[in-house]
Amino acid sequence: MIISLILAIWKKDYVWVVGTFFGLFISILPSIIKKDVKFTLPWVFDFLIAIVTILHVGGRLLDFYYNIDNYQLITRFFISILVAFISLAMIYILDEHWDGLKMDKYAMAFLTIILTMGIGVILELVKWLNVTGTYYIKTNAALMTNLLADTLAGIIIAGIGVNLIKSGKFDELTDEFGDQIDKMVIDKLEERYKEKNK
Amino acid sequence: MKKKSIDLWGVVLSYSLKIVMIILLIISIWNLHYIWIFGCTLALIVSLIPTILKRNYQITLPLPLEILVIIALILHVGGGLLGGYGIPNYDILTHFVSSFLIAFIAFVIIYILDEYWDGLKMDKYAMAFVVVFTTIAMGVIWEFNEWFTDIIFNTSEQWGYTDTLKDLFIDAIAGIIMAIVGVALIKRGSFEKLTDDFGEQIDKKIIKSKKVKKS
Repeated sequence: MIISLILAIWKKDYVWVVGTFFGLFISILPSIIKKDVKFTLPWVFDFLIAIVTILHVGGRLLDFYYNIDNYQLITRFFISILVAFISLAMIYILDEHWDGLKMDKYAMAFLTIILTMGIGVILELVKWLNVTGTYYIKTNAALMTNLLADTLAGIIIAGIGVNLIKSGKFDELTDEFGDQIDKMVIDKLEERYKEKNK
Repeated sequence: MKKKSIDLWGVVLSYSLKIVMIILLIISIWNLHYIWIFGCTLALIVSLIPTILKRNYQITLPLPLEILVIIALILHVGGGLLGGYGIPNYDILTHFVSSFLIAFIAFVIIYILDEYWDGLKMDKYAMAFVVVFTTIAMGVIWEFNEWFTDIIFNTSEQWGYTDTLKDLFIDAIAGIIMAIVGVALIKRGSFEKLTDDFGEQIDKKIIKSKKVKKS
């Protein structure tokens, strides 16, 4: 990311100086959160956020989006992998800490796929509305391959997730993060709910 | 008493819609529209599935589900036979009804699993959230089906980028509306009444939880 930032300055591509700076900020966000709010994100989050940011910002800076066929599909796939992992982690944490959700691991896998596909559609609708003003390829084929990438990413993470849950590794991965979410959000919401229903 | 009266109106509506279906079949035979004779016959058979399930397998589908299936079929067959698809935004209406039907089925399945299966316990708002995303995901699968059909058979099921996104948007809206309606029905206890028989039958035949119902 730092190399990307230096390259952007060297090329005098100021739009991408801002872009890479923003990307760098996102990629170090997990470390910032950990320091300031005592929040520990699972290392996989760090890793995936860094990969997605490098792929996107690097792709724009080095023109990979224009020079390499289907480059946007690769970045989209990794974004969906990240979305799927976040979805599975949130479902798992809610299952562990919230009384309102108890789920079998295969149901979790199914929901992960559904959520990844759904969030992919929301992303496409945002692109369609053109809120950000950024240029996107707006063809039916591009739309369908993006949705296919989302679905595949969801299925892959669901498969890996079920195996990690079975081996107990997913619990280790999200343990600390889950406890923090529980303390900071779930507990407070449950207390508020109980008070409301007194 | 009130439930019995609603049930009676539902049964009357269901039979009325089946009569409409028979009328559509007669029109297609009268006009010798062979493709729609086939379409109407198929739709009529599908609309009779709830009756067959009840008589032969003692499975009672929730009445709104039966009615929604028949409405979706009538809109599609009627639209094709009587030129309804020529009416502006008619396809939006048919797509919305189909998506709403999918959302209703998703809600019923989740609710029954929550009631009878040990592998799922869900807050009603979480159910609503899952219903919205399930409806959108089913819409995506439908679009995949159209996309692959176009690639393999060189057809024009998908009309283009904007039309595909419009369909997905309608799926999302139908999912959201069903989620809101579903939560309201659960709060009133109507959803339980609606799925009571069906849930117990599914439990006996598939889930086999060996209990009457989760508390």
